[in-house]
Amino acid sequence: MRIVIDPTRCHGHGTCAALLEEYMELDKWHYPLVHNDKLRDVHLESAKRAVQLCPELAIKIVDN
Amino acid sequence: MNESVSTSIMAPSGSRRLSLSWETSLRTGNPDISYAGDFELRSKSRVTLAEHISNYGRIPTGLSLNMIIETLRVANLTGRGGARFPMYRKIDAVANARTKKAIYIVANGSESEPLSRKDSSLLRANPHLVLDGMSIIAEVLGAKAGYIYVKDKEAHVAINAALRERRDRGINEVRVSVVEAPPGYVSGQETSVVRRIERGPALPRFSTDRLATSGIKGAPTLLSNVETFANAALILRFGGDWYRSGGVGYDSGTRLLTISGSVARPGVYEVNPGVSVAALLREAGASSVRALLVGGYFGGWINVRDESDLNFSFDDHTLADRKLNIGAGIIGVLSKDTCPVVEAAGIVEYLSRQSAGQCGPCVFGLPEISTAFARIALSSNVEKGIAELRSVIPLVEHRGGCQHPDGVIGLVRSTVGAFGDEIKLHKSGNCSVVGVNHRSVLLPTPKMNSGMSSIGGK
Repeated sequence: MRIVIDPTRCHGHGTCAALLEEYMELDKWHYPLVHNDKLRDVHLESAKRAVQLCPELAIKIVDN
Repeated sequence: MNESVSTSIMAPSGSRRLSLSWETSLRTGNPDISYAGDFELRSKSRVTLAEHISNYGRIPTGLSLNMIIETLRVANLTGRGGARFPMYRKIDAVANARTKKAIYIVANGSESEPLSRKDSSLLRANPHLVLDGMSIIAEVLGAKAGYIYVKDKEAHVAINAALRERRDRGINEVRVSVVEAPPGYVSGQETSVVRRIERGPALPRFSTDRLATSGIKGAPTLLSNVETFANAALILRFGGDWYRSGGVGYDSGTRLLTISGSVARPGVYEVNPGVSVAALLREAGASSVRALLVGGYFGGWINVRDESDLNFSFDDHTLADRKLNIGAGIIGVLSKDTCPVVEAAGIVEYLSRQSAGQCGPCVFGLPEISTAFARIALSSNVEKGIAELRSVIPLVEHRGGCQHPDGVIGLVRSTVGAFGDEIKLHKSGNCSVVGVNHRSVLLPTPKMNSGMSSIGGK
């Protein structure tokens, strides 16, 4: 599974970075900078919450 | 392999295949180069359907999918919009997309690159060749509809006139509509084209799918540059081996180029790959060359220290050895009275204002890159500029929803890589161009756009 953020939708709310700090951090403009997109099972619940809570529907979990 | 020629028409030879210059007197002395003229100069009218058929023969019909794929594979036809993707593989991917949805076919002639004129020239002069390519491929794919996406108003008029002629003659083919491309550098990106055809804004869309499987309205979509379709129309008439008789094996056929900047004869050229760059520049009337911008604003530079730097073959492989790509067929020429680093900074600044405004790293990062780069170009503080570029580029690269930010970064890297000698001068507060009068040569200006009612944009 992979974390995919649509950069055209993302407005830098930062919810995902708060929930998935193992995978990303916020850059100086407050946009998520993903350094590892390979989602591990142990973080699946956090990732699902990030998907639900993103006000822009910008983050997705995709297969492979 | 299909090498049958369906008519008694002689296949065109040399560098005059796309017939941009058949009726003009602007032939060059070099058989590998033909000149279609400057936009302002050229008054050549559109080739009518009757003339077109007399030039090239009838539109081939009844070709099978396998025959088309195999012929285009043998021809080694690659995308002429800049991506160089093999056309036969694109067709194959669309044909094999697992879907019940209708298939769409799109010819991109938007030419949003300000230094390019070749697509508008082709569409103004010979729209039937583009329509033939779309028609043949659409038929074999069973495409529901075709679109030509175009910015130039005269090209628009020429296509509509050509479509009328085809209807009047009763040619039974896919219905093609012209969609107007709005101004803006990003309006020509593939996903922008798809959104515009869907009646949305001409802005890039982020997608993890390819257009071949999910394009217009989520349906398989074959999208290629107009010159690619024109070449396909010739290849499917005269065969893959005929096509490869021009150019060099791995870079076959001919290529349309727009040469601009400090040259006496700017405009559109049709050339055989393998011709020497020096010969090409001689025909264009370049002298005292300082640098070449190859591939347009997302391209790269050649630092010309002396004449021998121009003695190489113009073809994909030789350019790739120099980390260059001809892109949409663009060569910008700077003479010795222009500082290439200053010129590049102007382009970077222009591009930073051309962001679609959709992605944070592009919106905030490109102006920072432009400011940092200006410190280098203006010799104000080169070290600080380099340090700032090092810190901001990783925050921008690969983070856009389209190629725009990465294209800008590519140009910045190429400039710094190619002009170490010039940048060294800038470090000490100097510049190779004495009496600095930096009039931009390669940026869009009202004059440059005067021959074209709407291209270039703001």
